[in-house]
Amino acid sequence: MMKLKVYADRMSQPSRAVIIFCKVNGIDFEEVRIDVSKRQQLSPEFKEINPMGKVPAIVDGRFKLFESHAILIYLACVFPGVADHWYPADLFKRVKIQSVLDWHHSNLRRGAATYVFNTTLAPASGLPLNPQAAAEAEKVLSSSLSKIESFWLKGSGRFLLGGNQPTIADLSLVCEIMQLEVLDEYDRSRIIAPYKKVQQWIEDTRQATRPHFDEVHKILFKAKARLQKQRSVGENIETQSSFKTTLTSKM
Amino acid sequence: MELKVYGHRASQPSRAIMIFCKANNIEFEEVTIDLSKGQHKSPEYKEINPMGQVPAIIHGELQLFESHAILTYLASAFPGVADHWYPTDLVKRAKIHSVLDWHHSNLRRGSAPYIFNARLAPVFGLPLNPQAAAEAEKILISSLSTIESFWLQDSGTFLLGGNQPSIADLSLVCEIMQLELLDENERNRFLGPYKKVQQWIENTKNAINPQFDEMHGALYQLSAKMGKQ
Repeated sequence: MMKLKVYADRMSQPSRAVIIFCKVNGIDFEEVRIDVSKRQQLSPEFKEINPMGKVPAIVDGRFKLFESHAILIYLACVFPGVADHWYPADLFKRVKIQSVLDWHHSNLRRGAATYVFNTTLAPASGLPLNPQAAAEAEKVLSSSLSKIESFWLKGSGRFLLGGNQPTIADLSLVCEIMQLEVLDEYDRSRIIAPYKKVQQWIEDTRQATRPHFDEVHKILFKAKARLQKQRSVGENIETQSSFKTTLTSKM
Repeated sequence: MELKVYGHRASQPSRAIMIFCKANNIEFEEVTIDLSKGQHKSPEYKEINPMGQVPAIIHGELQLFESHAILTYLASAFPGVADHWYPTDLVKRAKIHSVLDWHHSNLRRGSAPYIFNARLAPVFGLPLNPQAAAEAEKILISSLSTIESFWLQDSGTFLLGGNQPSIADLSLVCEIMQLELLDENERNRFLGPYKKVQQWIENTKNAINPQFDEMHGALYQLSAKMGKQ
């Protein structure tokens, strides 16, 4: 039987969620790296897999699927070794998980990804930073973090919707927030500081999925270190080549 | 156990929920939340949905918002609902999830802000915003094009090659119906190039009538009223 293939870029938040989910649940898969900074997601070969030209995508036998929430739900249902808490059989719990995953698209995802892109990551894709778009996105991001703090984490448990064990929603949303790690440290702290429950929840999710969570986030932390060095020596990060060059070769 | 649906017939996802109920003989109490009067932001309504958006449902102890989650709940919880709406087959189901997810950041993200910023804002006492409308228009056109070339590419009558409608058809078609608030020339400008999309809208209406047309009556009325201003 053909092994599950996961097409992903670990710099992509939803790609990380799918990879971590597979590893935590012992799902056997082949990871096919699609390097977004090299525009590989737009290649004709990858567009055969996902015509939208986005990661992640999976191929399970002859069946192709994209959109990370659809992928997480499919994997949780189709692989028998997956523990119930990830996507419970209980209908009430299940649809509540779906409601936070739906909310995520237009709220946390929209705010966080747009903010990080327009303040930090755009040059890696050959695009300029956009302070105006970043300012608008920051409002959406802060409002979303506030809603997670006051509503989604309202229950007595450590995870979203009052749960005591993580669901696919925790994994998806925490991987999104992790992208803030590449921001200037002052900005990141400023944005996340008001939200104590959120900070604890990120840590709880990380602990519940270790060591895979840290391993899959390594590339993000490498990018973070590279960007911090560039900031501290005052390099202009608006040129793509300086972003990609390792600092040791310049010293 | 009573089902309450909080919404407004001028709201695309509210209509999808109510049409689904009517088409599947699911009894419910319709509680109208008047968006133009800001009722969705009232303290009473925020007890129902803290996000202050429609639709939302209460069914026994379950309080739920986000229309896609509501549609999957209704399709799963009520035994009379035919399988084609939300199939138990995991592969078909996954594909329905993928188009519903795609919808948030594409069709919905283009269509709703375009109509709001080009036409509807004054109903809420807000100014039109041509720049926001122009940005949304690009996303709307791109989304219609993707539906035409990808989501409707198979030989079936509905999205994903289906021969019967799913909750995805209902959700996306209700979104596109909002274009009725534009004048006819503008509507034709958007939909004209997309023959499959036009046929699919007709197919969906035909599969779910008379409930589909009945639920859209309020939208047509709103359109006529706006046309006179």
